[in-house]
Amino acid sequence: MACGSTALWAGETTWFCCGSSWGPCGSAGTGACGTCQSNAHQAAWPNTSAACFSITRPDLCGETIVQRACGSVMNVKHQCSGASVCVTVSDCGPRTQSFCGEATCCNGSCRTNRVIDLTPAAFSAIGNLSSGKLPVYIYE
Amino acid sequence: MRQNHENTGRPLDRRRFLTTAALGGATIVGASALGGLDADAAFAEPMPSLDPAITKSAFAEGRITRIKGSVLEVAGSYGDQHLIQLTNVTSIWKLRPTTADAVKVGDGLYARGVDMPDGTIAADAVWVNIVNLYVTIRGIAKDRLHFTHGSHETVGHVVPDTTTASYLGGALTPDLSRVRIGQAAQILGAWRPADDAIDIARVTVGH
Repeated sequence: MACGSTALWAGETTWFCCGSSWGPCGSAGTGACGTCQSNAHQAAWPNTSAACFSITRPDLCGETIVQRACGSVMNVKHQCSGASVCVTVSDCGPRTQSFCGEATCCNGSCRTNRVIDLTPAAFSAIGNLSSGKLPVYIYE
Repeated sequence: MRQNHENTGRPLDRRRFLTTAALGGATIVGASALGGLDADAAFAEPMPSLDPAITKSAFAEGRITRIKGSVLEVAGSYGDQHLIQLTNVTSIWKLRPTTADAVKVGDGLYARGVDMPDGTIAADAVWVNIVNLYVTIRGIAKDRLHFTHGSHETVGHVVPDTTTASYLGGALTPDLSRVRIGQAAQILGAWRPADDAIDIARVTVGH
């Protein structure tokens, strides 16, 4: 599936580990889709299914995020640098409801609420892992 | 980010700069110019970090099995092998920005860089033992937090002059007194291979 350019959402991205890995990530498993790997360009989306949505609850933060199933492809672009990465949805997350109202800014412009999680491979393609989160636009 | 090559005046993009650095001919510049920023600085002022003209950066993860000069031999978690070339512009993070001396055999890492013709990756950034865990706080002591990550119980050590907290997205503070048992939190830190604990760089407390 192609990596598209139609605007889908905007917000914060964080990063997470999954699949075979070292340290505490070694127990993370392959995620809700069963395919998640830290070293692949993949993402977790907070509405891969009704069951997923009931955990992440982005609606409690005012984010009526549309459902996209495992295997969906998205283009995630850093709000300021323009660096982008094409990712495949491979897990359910992040837990948006736990961090309602959190904002990440660059160049004086902020994005609010955690709306997507990226694997280390994907996140590091558009930013630094040590920052923990980035403001992004999401396309499909 | 582009640098001007002092000899030719031609623009020097990240890929060519790293390639040159790996071959030993680079003019030294601050590593942050290539994207390596410490956690607090990046959190306080997240700047654009990567040259969008670079469409594909190389990535590697795994555990360090050998250090030979400036090359890290890494066993990937899927049986793959990597040779990570550290250069004089490589940004290294291990709980905080640090130098190659702090990197040890047995450490885990994520590395970003450029594929070299000899099969190595010339790294512009290496994050050693870095973890970013969604956890639930289970216990609080003066010098540590106890938390669960999924079903995995972990101890996170508070590191003086390093550990900071952010409450509901607020500014970073060294004051952890508002952390409560049962809260959801994100722990950015460095895993300790020796005891499987974590040194905490930043705890972001949620609702």
